[in-house]
Amino acid sequence: MMYRYRNWLAGLCLGLSLCAAWGAETSSASAPPAPASSLASAALDARIQDIKSEVIGLNRDLLVLEEELLFPANTQVAVFVSMDVGKMFELDSVQLKLDDKLVASYLYTALEVQALHRGGVQRLYLGNLRTGAHELVAFFTGKGPHERDYKRGTTLRFDKETQARFIELRIRDSSAKLQPEFDVKLWQ
Amino acid sequence: MLPNRFAGLSWRRCTLAAAAALALAGPVRADEAPREIRALHYGDTLFHFFQDHYFTALASLMVAQHFDRVAPHADEAEVLRGGLLLSYGLQREAGAIFAKLIEQGAAATVRDRAWYYLAKIAYQRGYLEQAQQALGRIQSPLPPALQDDRVLLQANVLMARSDYSAAATLLEGVDEKAAGARFARFNLGVALIKAGDAAGGTAVLNALGQQGAQDEEMRSLRDRANVALGFAALNDKQPLAARAFLQRVRLQGQQANKALLGLGWSSAALKEPRQALVPWSELAQRSSSDAAALEAQIALPYAWAELGAYGQALERYQGALSSFERERLALDESISAIRSGSLVDSLIERNPGDEMGWFWSVRALPAVPHPEHLLQVLAQNEFQEALKNYRDLRFLARHLDAWREKLSVFGDMLATRRKAFAQRLAQLQAEVQQGKMAGLRSRRDSVAAELARGIDASDPTAFADARQLDLLQRVASASATVAGPDPELQAYRERVRLAAGALTWQLAQDRPQRIWDATRELQAVDAQLREASQRDAALAQAQRDEPVRFDAFEQRIAALDPLLQSLGTQVAALAKEQQSAVQDLAVASLLLQQQRLQAYSAQARFAVAQLYDRASAQPEAPHAAKP
Repeated sequence: MMYRYRNWLAGLCLGLSLCAAWGAETSSASAPPAPASSLASAALDARIQDIKSEVIGLNRDLLVLEEELLFPANTQVAVFVSMDVGKMFELDSVQLKLDDKLVASYLYTALEVQALHRGGVQRLYLGNLRTGAHELVAFFTGKGPHERDYKRGTTLRFDKETQARFIELRIRDSSAKLQPEFDVKLWQ
Repeated sequence: MLPNRFAGLSWRRCTLAAAAALALAGPVRADEAPREIRALHYGDTLFHFFQDHYFTALASLMVAQHFDRVAPHADEAEVLRGGLLLSYGLQREAGAIFAKLIEQGAAATVRDRAWYYLAKIAYQRGYLEQAQQALGRIQSPLPPALQDDRVLLQANVLMARSDYSAAATLLEGVDEKAAGARFARFNLGVALIKAGDAAGGTAVLNALGQQGAQDEEMRSLRDRANVALGFAALNDKQPLAARAFLQRVRLQGQQANKALLGLGWSSAALKEPRQALVPWSELAQRSSSDAAALEAQIALPYAWAELGAYGQALERYQGALSSFERERLALDESISAIRSGSLVDSLIERNPGDEMGWFWSVRALPAVPHPEHLLQVLAQNEFQEALKNYRDLRFLARHLDAWREKLSVFGDMLATRRKAFAQRLAQLQAEVQQGKMAGLRSRRDSVAAELARGIDASDPTAFADARQLDLLQRVASASATVAGPDPELQAYRERVRLAAGALTWQLAQDRPQRIWDATRELQAVDAQLREASQRDAALAQAQRDEPVRFDAFEQRIAALDPLLQSLGTQVAALAKEQQSAVQDLAVASLLLQQQRLQAYSAQARFAVAQLYDRASAQPEAPHAAKP
């Protein structure tokens, strides 16, 4: 009896484990070609991918509509924050005033600061301004060299014309002064 | 939290996602220099992308592309968009983007990456020939992070085409310092064995199975190599070698149960059932939702029987039968819970995430009666993909709901603007009708004519100011008063004459400056009138354009609204279908567990019957009862 039982168990054991033992590891290259378990599930999957694609397209159209409706090009102004190197300044927050009115105040997470370090540019503010002369004031707070609290401001006077105006607030390291620098660039 | 063995599997899925999307913008490392951004909106996309907010990144990129704001990064942006779509499983759209980039003759580096992604898509869809061809079109090394993936992908394609020798040759060239080097070594071992070089493959896996490991993924891979080697040795009837391999496996890892089972079998094969009792006893105490643990419950009495302890064996078999019955009932409860829909909802609620996407993974088990039953289900790639799709659909449904509300607000806003515009227009039209502009022009013309007359007439008084005019009047009046022959008034007449002369002199002196000032003022008036005319024209234009603009917005909103409604309905219906599909997968897996239980129960009953037969034929020796 036991021989028969052992054979059965051995077969089961091999069935459980060995079939998986020699499967190639596909960890970081890509998923293996995985045939759908059934035609029905493959069809459902295809429909889901189609709807995802449609929603992504619709989302784009809606965002475009929103921007054109709320921030038309002739009055649009957008303010961005970027960081070049930024080793001399650990950004905590930014406050933005336009024509002496506080329009944006932002507290950064570590992940956001890291995204800025890696070349990401944050759109801090999107709004509308009349044509004519305006003044922008930005305050940056954080830790400067030697872990000291650091607060700096930068100002820009600019003319808003009939095209959208994009403004970049740049945080840079000045190796000559061993201090962070904050400046503003107007994009055309 | 989930046990390690599950976390290990979910990592694998995350890594696949990372390969699909993270490498898009080139390799990203903490110490690298930031990219040079030549378009702010591309930087904005990267800002979201680097935070793994893929949906926001994709949306921001597509809007920026619509407004042509990422032109300096056009090709990079397309590669990024293709990769993001690919990460959402939209292979067809991603494939079209990469193919277009190649067709348009993008830069060589972009083209190579596009070929890589096309190969990846083809491989995922099972088009191995196409994948092989696309990989062959890559002309130069890709960025380091992608290059490692490329080699592994190529090896996988070759292995999928059963060209194990070529795969082995390729994998042998992988740099040991590369990020995926150990996975490459594992695959190399497998490829060598499948290519017929069992000794070579075993040596590679053996080396991998003894290497130090820094993290859970590597430890898990090491365990897997040892389990593979152990079972291969068992299969080759080399139980001693099998035992050595299997003893290297950690007791708490993902492969632990398999290893314990194999370890018991190696001892049994060595005719050492007493040794087999140790791993099998440990394994039999573990969760019976695991197939190896179930098997241990009948392997253990088998070992007792081998030792001649038939009483112990009988007791264990009966214990196993009771345990199988309890497990069967528990599985019934789990299946009912799953069919009621509570599994999927609970999984999503207990594993929240910001956005839809490949990086999401299940970390917490659902609140169902026997969550341990789902460990194996949750570890299945097919289940995870199905669950992820369901979660994505829920995300999209919420997103569409939010847009529906916004769109309704846009409609109200537009109506308000239209009303405000109409009111202001009415006011302005009234002012225009009152002829303000015409009156101003007429007054300007009259002043201009007067100025011209003054200049032409050489009239010294034409440009006199108010004070001078007053003085002129007073001089004239005084002159009239002192006029006449009276000699006594001669002195007054002389003074008046001098005053008149002085005034005339002053007027003559002032005249050029006055003419200049008047001309300038007239020019300023002209400029203001021109500006007013322009505003008038702009107003007239706005009267024509604004209603058209309002109409256009209204039409867009009207067109988008039903689309939003329709997609919302479709997403909801698909979510429901997908929920059923997810539940079906889970139920199917649990039914399989039940079937396995039935098979084990049948075998246990058979063994019990045999033991009873034996007992009736030959009473058990008292000394063999306790090993």
